Amino acid sequence: MAPPTLDLANLPDADVARLAQQGREPAFRELVRRYERPVFSLVFRMVRDTATAEDLAQDTFIKVLNHIDKYRSEFKFSSWLFKIANNVAIDHLRRRQLDTISMDGSPNASTAADIEATRFDIADKSESALDEMEAKELGSEIERAIGALRPEYRSCIMLRHVEGRSYEEIAATLDLPLGTVKTYIHRARHQLREALEHLRE
Amino acid sequence: MQHRHLLPNEIDLLLDGEVGFGVAPLRAHVDDCAECRARLDEARVVADALERLPHFVPRSGFADRVMAQVQVVEPWHVAALATARRFVPESRPLRALALAGAGLASVVISASAVWLAFSADLGFKSASFIATRARGAMVDAAGHLFETAFGSGAADAVRTNGSMALAVGVVALVAAVGAAAFGFRALATASRQRGS
Repeated sequence: MAPPTLDLANLPDADVARLAQQGREPAFRELVRRYERPVFSLVFRMVRDTATAEDLAQDTFIKVLNHIDKYRSEFKFSSWLFKIANNVAIDHLRRRQLDTISMDGSPNASTAADIEATRFDIADKSESALDEMEAKELGSEIERAIGALRPEYRSCIMLRHVEGRSYEEIAATLDLPLGTVKTYIHRARHQLREALEHLRE
Repeated sequence: MQHRHLLPNEIDLLLDGEVGFGVAPLRAHVDDCAECRARLDEARVVADALERLPHFVPRSGFADRVMAQVQVVEPWHVAALATARRFVPESRPLRALALAGAGLASVVISASAVWLAFSADLGFKSASFIATRARGAMVDAAGHLFETAFGSGAADAVRTNGSMALAVGVVALVAAVGAAAFGFRALATASRQRGS
């Protein structure tokens, strides 16, 4: 009798991870499909370089999927994944001492594709031309301001506002005390407000 | 209502949409204080802009590049289950038939195992009975042989004194055989000397 076919796209993460633990290759692919963009975005905003971010995002998935048997379903799969992605990015920054981030985006962007990848684009939002222009300007300014934050502030603010995680989840993901997470996010917001103050004037 | 401006962490509480008993006075203050309202709006603009940041897309074929370096391992119990599943028929009547067959086979196997265990026990008991009887017969035969060879007196002495008398008898026999052998050898040597 053939094994039952599953609609993986509609299953929760924990179920897909369980199927991956059973050695089902489509489940591995589904996990990559779900999280390739969030993980790549988080890592890219940490390291500010497309090629490096892709390598690190790839390393993250390889580590996670090769150790899928270690995953326990009482924890959120995405928290485990983001924890590893963040550790991979922080390790890279420590090795390369890239804490000083270029305000113009990727320091290694040499091709048009790389430059394009670092650009902020919200063209799919239905806004007036003026709003769109302002939003685009704010978007690229905010990307630069994020790049100037300390790496630990960066990962906290990304998880909070881009991935919509709660403070508790961020604390669990980054192995930080809850109070520290709140402080980091508060400071990051303050720095971002200061960095974007000139836009309001 | 609060009579002072909000602290930065209180602005954060409102920004995060916290609810609860302690947040209500903060909201009331913001409704009445233009300065705090402006600070909250300013914080909200940044938070909204952050929330609208897009996800970046890696180059196409990202999943394939990842999967090329991932080892998909099927645990043994899953593999065993999958193998067993291959033998299960597709249609319901055939599955029922297969289930009945499997049930019958398990009954037959269980019964055979019980029978084998019982037979083994029976065999063991028979073998030990035969061994006991054979040992008794051999001891009787040895007794008769001993009596024939050494006479009924020696046999009675062995029966009366047990193994000690048997040991003394055996030593005496060995000594007698040894002495006889020595005597024959001396006679043969003497006759060879006389002949030469």
